[in-house]
Amino acid sequence: MKHFLLRIEPVIWLLFGQGLLIGTMLLTGWILVVGLAAPLGLVDAAALSFDRAHALASNIVGRLVLAALIVLPLWKGAHHMRHLSIDFRGADRDVVVAPVLYAVATIGSLLGILAVVRL
Amino acid sequence: MGEPTKTFVITRFDPDKDEVPKTQEYEIPVEADWKVLDAINFIKDEVDPSISHRWSCRMAVCGSCGMMVDGEPKLTCKTALSDYGDRVTVEPLANFPIVRDLVTELEGFMEKFQRVKPWVIRAKEDAGAADSKPPMNDKGTFVQSPAELAEFKQFSMCINCMLCYAACPVVANEAEFLGPAAIALGHRYNLDSRDQGQDERNEIFRDEGTVFSCSFANECSEVCPKNVDPAAAVNQAKFGAVIDWATSLVLPRASAGRRGEQGGK
Repeated sequence: MKHFLLRIEPVIWLLFGQGLLIGTMLLTGWILVVGLAAPLGLVDAAALSFDRAHALASNIVGRLVLAALIVLPLWKGAHHMRHLSIDFRGADRDVVVAPVLYAVATIGSLLGILAVVRL
Repeated sequence: MGEPTKTFVITRFDPDKDEVPKTQEYEIPVEADWKVLDAINFIKDEVDPSISHRWSCRMAVCGSCGMMVDGEPKLTCKTALSDYGDRVTVEPLANFPIVRDLVTELEGFMEKFQRVKPWVIRAKEDAGAADSKPPMNDKGTFVQSPAELAEFKQFSMCINCMLCYAACPVVANEAEFLGPAAIALGHRYNLDSRDQGQDERNEIFRDEGTVFSCSFANECSEVCPKNVDPAAAVNQAKFGAVIDWATSLVLPRASAGRRGEQGGK
């Protein structure tokens, strides 16, 4: 398992890096618009109506962005929590912790992609 | 009267007598412009000659006087005493075995240095000056532009003071971790325009206990007294190792240094 984890590390790290980027940039903007600007009336709430949002999300670019927004931060979170666990004196339990976290990220990714496809 | 004093709580350990390190307190008069090292030297010279500590240049170049000051790794010759309170704790660098008092064992670290092949690797001996890449000048040395030098210069400023190892949470947990300074050193040669050994080093960087063991705490760059920014080197080395891995899938290499990989892919 240890050897396997090392072999897949480049892939995980790429997903982690992209998740970090998306998490810090896109999600922040997303929360800013939907969570702050809209309730404060800075953005016209009608612009975020279900029909418009659905149309935006269900075209091909919207679906890709949405899938990236769901999948990549999941891997970022899993990888970060794995290293957090190691930093808290968990190097020995890593052979269990890492597979569990990555399994959660995998399942979450598949469910997320499924949801995006069925939009 | 009125001469300011400070109390120094210093780790003492004599391997012949002590099972575990203990502390000893010294109250001494201090000057306003002293660095922490000045105070320790004063104690050694005037109060207790039995204290052992390493130091040499007193100008943040030699990298010998790294110690934990109030729990943080510091180059004591560069750390103003005035930034600290009336009680200052001085301990040997964390994450290293203690030899005696404030002196730590650095042997294991030297091996980590060698592991990243910190020298210019050439694919083969350059036959003549004219056809080498990069070109050689008439003195037989490689030509390097200021821009090419700037690529790696920051990572070459390391003085091996080991503060980054004392600060690193990964080193604290797994002593075999290659660590910030060694990775920055390897990365420095990977960025060197004269070097052709990136494949070899990227392979080392994909091994167990190297770049991917880093947990992005960034503490190494926080404590680095020379602004080497080892954390940036580690992250760039990760990216290099990932790209190297990806290209090795589509462009299989001559298996000269390849270990532990089954062929075919």
